[in-house]
Amino acid sequence: MSVALVLLIAFVGLAFDFGRIYVARNEAQVYTDAAALTAASRLDGTMAGVQKARDAVDKLPGNWNLGTERIKGVVVEFSSNGSNWTGTPEKDQTASGPWSYARVIAPSNDLNIVFLRAVGGPANFRILARSSAQSNPVRLVD
Amino acid sequence: MLELAACATLLVSFLCGAVQFGYTFYVYNQLVTAVGNGGKYAAMRTYRGKDAEKGAAAIRNLVVYGDTHPEGGAVPVVPNLTPENVEVKWKLGESGAPEFVDISIINHHIDAVFGSLTLSGRPSVEFPFLGRYAPGEFEP
Repeated sequence: MSVALVLLIAFVGLAFDFGRIYVARNEAQVYTDAAALTAASRLDGTMAGVQKARDAVDKLPGNWNLGTERIKGVVVEFSSNGSNWTGTPEKDQTASGPWSYARVIAPSNDLNIVFLRAVGGPANFRILARSSAQSNPVRLVD
Repeated sequence: MLELAACATLLVSFLCGAVQFGYTFYVYNQLVTAVGNGGKYAAMRTYRGKDAEKGAAAIRNLVVYGDTHPEGGAVPVVPNLTPENVEVKWKLGESGAPEFVDISIINHHIDAVFGSLTLSGRPSVEFPFLGRYAPGEFEP
């Protein structure tokens, strides 16, 4: 009876927790898509454009965990060619503009695991999302 | 007999819970995707100042039916979702041109098997406006 109960909780927990993870990932992805487009729309190749992109992403509202929590720890990176990225183009000596790509990463949003923890699963699951966009014309890129 | 009754009660309540939450998560996830698609569409389309409400109706239709001009009898992406459940808010700049568009779900009831959940203001998304601004144009 107790073995069956643990198994039952594990399977119900699997469905519940994975359902939440799936939704949270989707929410975070929609947010990073919007944020990457926002950042790319502010880029004009200059450092002033980079700063405008950062400010615009800071102001962009974004929620996850069924819309109850604000997305935090957002990282904005820039590139001139879409392959070499830097979060601090003003300090990075190896990278140079014109900055025409923006990448937004939401790397530090941990979802509390409810049921699976009770049967030996992890306490948290990190939700990762990342999107890149190009300016002129502004569009999402892989 | 008593043991069976206890086990069955527990089993059925777990299964009911799984169905209830599973269905609610499924619907919510569909709404997140629909709102995201609506936001991307709104961001890219031409904003026609003379016909902004007609443009907003096309965005609502895209969220609800996945089609800006759905045919009669079109099926919404989730049950009971109607264009009235989608709010489109333009954030205009000083010149009157839109800078951002907010899409959110309002007053939508998710009728799961054993209960109901009302969503208001979520899921929501804000996209930057990247389309053409045409203050003097009407929708075709």
